[in-house]
Amino acid sequence: MQAATENRRWSKEYPELGTGPVPAESCISPEYFELERERVFRRTWLNVGRVDDVPNAGDFFVRELAVCKTSILVIRGKDGVIRGFHNVCSHRSNKLVWEERGTCRGALACHFHSWGYNAQGQLTGVPDEENFHDLDKSKLGLSPVTTDVWEGFIFVHLGPQPQETLIDYLGGVAEQFKGATFHKRRLTHTYKVEEQANWKVALDAQNEAYHLPFQHRYSFPGMFVLKDNRYLRLSGVKLYNHHAVWSTTYNSESTPTPTGALMNQLNTATTNSRLPMLGDFDFFVIFPNFVILQFRGIEDDYYMTYNFWPLAVNRCIWEIKFHFPPAETAGQRLSQEYLKHRICDVLQEDAVAHETLQTGLNSRAKTHLILQDDEIQIRHFHTVLEDYMGFFNGRGH
Amino acid sequence: MAEVPLPEPFQSLEPFSAWALATERERRAKRLSSSMEEIQAFYDALFPQLEAVVAYLDQFPLDQLPAEAQPLYYLTLSLVEVTSAVELYHNPHIFEAIEPTRFRRVE
Repeated sequence: MQAATENRRWSKEYPELGTGPVPAESCISPEYFELERERVFRRTWLNVGRVDDVPNAGDFFVRELAVCKTSILVIRGKDGVIRGFHNVCSHRSNKLVWEERGTCRGALACHFHSWGYNAQGQLTGVPDEENFHDLDKSKLGLSPVTTDVWEGFIFVHLGPQPQETLIDYLGGVAEQFKGATFHKRRLTHTYKVEEQANWKVALDAQNEAYHLPFQHRYSFPGMFVLKDNRYLRLSGVKLYNHHAVWSTTYNSESTPTPTGALMNQLNTATTNSRLPMLGDFDFFVIFPNFVILQFRGIEDDYYMTYNFWPLAVNRCIWEIKFHFPPAETAGQRLSQEYLKHRICDVLQEDAVAHETLQTGLNSRAKTHLILQDDEIQIRHFHTVLEDYMGFFNGRGH
Repeated sequence: MAEVPLPEPFQSLEPFSAWALATERERRAKRLSSSMEEIQAFYDALFPQLEAVVAYLDQFPLDQLPAEAQPLYYLTLSLVEVTSAVELYHNPHIFEAIEPTRFRRVE
């Protein structure tokens, strides 16, 4: 294990980020939130799902993107291509698909006048078509949204012309994950928490390890206090163009609970593949609102994702997904259920903090966030954010 | 609730068949509506046999569990549901956590 003794090491590695406090205004200002819609969420690639969500031709899901004031339909065409569309009928702009997910068998029909679309988004049927004036169905397909897939993750871009391709946007993160065997894990559990918190308050609260020994003292007593690293300093930090990752090592000194010890024995491999990890636990923040968390398992690694979906300046949905190797036996499944359960306890504690932080920020008692060196990834996030927003440097008001 | 009797070696668990619940939502609700005494009794009955139960279940592929093994499998999932309550919190609830129904499992 890397010794964590050197103070303020990350700011020496990334001096361009500075060391000053970060303005809290971005988390409480309605004006800021309105600008974020355009300047961040319409100018970046947004993860909306995985290829496993639409395994077969005709499979679709709908993603409500409140922050972009739109609903997106992601559907796999008969040609196998995954496409994104605005979920809006070409006739008079009714919302086309109302289900969260499903399969298009033949056509998706609008509830209003039953205009029908195929899985490629083409308009195929218009009732009483002869009574329209110069109707050209070939020009009235669904409005496409720029969509691309990276390592099985589906992204959309709502800007008129993305400045970067998805792979260029991901940059060093794409390099790091080249050939990662995400596809050997399966989505096993999804949770959603609607929170009275700005999406960045929730994300920032997850985006560090400093809080773990303190806030999670009940759910993981002693786990995060290491003899030679009692404040759980990070084992690695890597800052990319828009994104960041930080890592920690596991505490090999901690004694598992009786159930934990048994579950460790049951946690056997089924994929014979590892994930490309930097530490025992990696937290990748893919700007703006997507996180990939990798966990070193005993024989197999597993991963989670977070998506923080803004609803309003002080409201968001925290979406949590677990991806484990496919369990072949009850024992394997049980050990995964155990890991999931322990992690969910922690997340239920985290969710409280998201709201108490927001309450404190709303009071405006403090104007800035004070960050230590092992919170440099939060500083980086707010720096990237400001690059998009230009709020505090001129373009704000 | 288990309709099928538990496999012979594990019939001592019969009094706890109300814990044989198929979904996470039901198991969570059961933990939250049980007293610590009830949870402890369930844990004390199942935990010492857990290794043997899993060895029994692991004779079968997970997707081909016979009918009499199914409730037993659900009991092990309920054990995982209560393990933190017994081993860490000594309380059915997590301290300083959001209202459990707000942490919504999407099935």
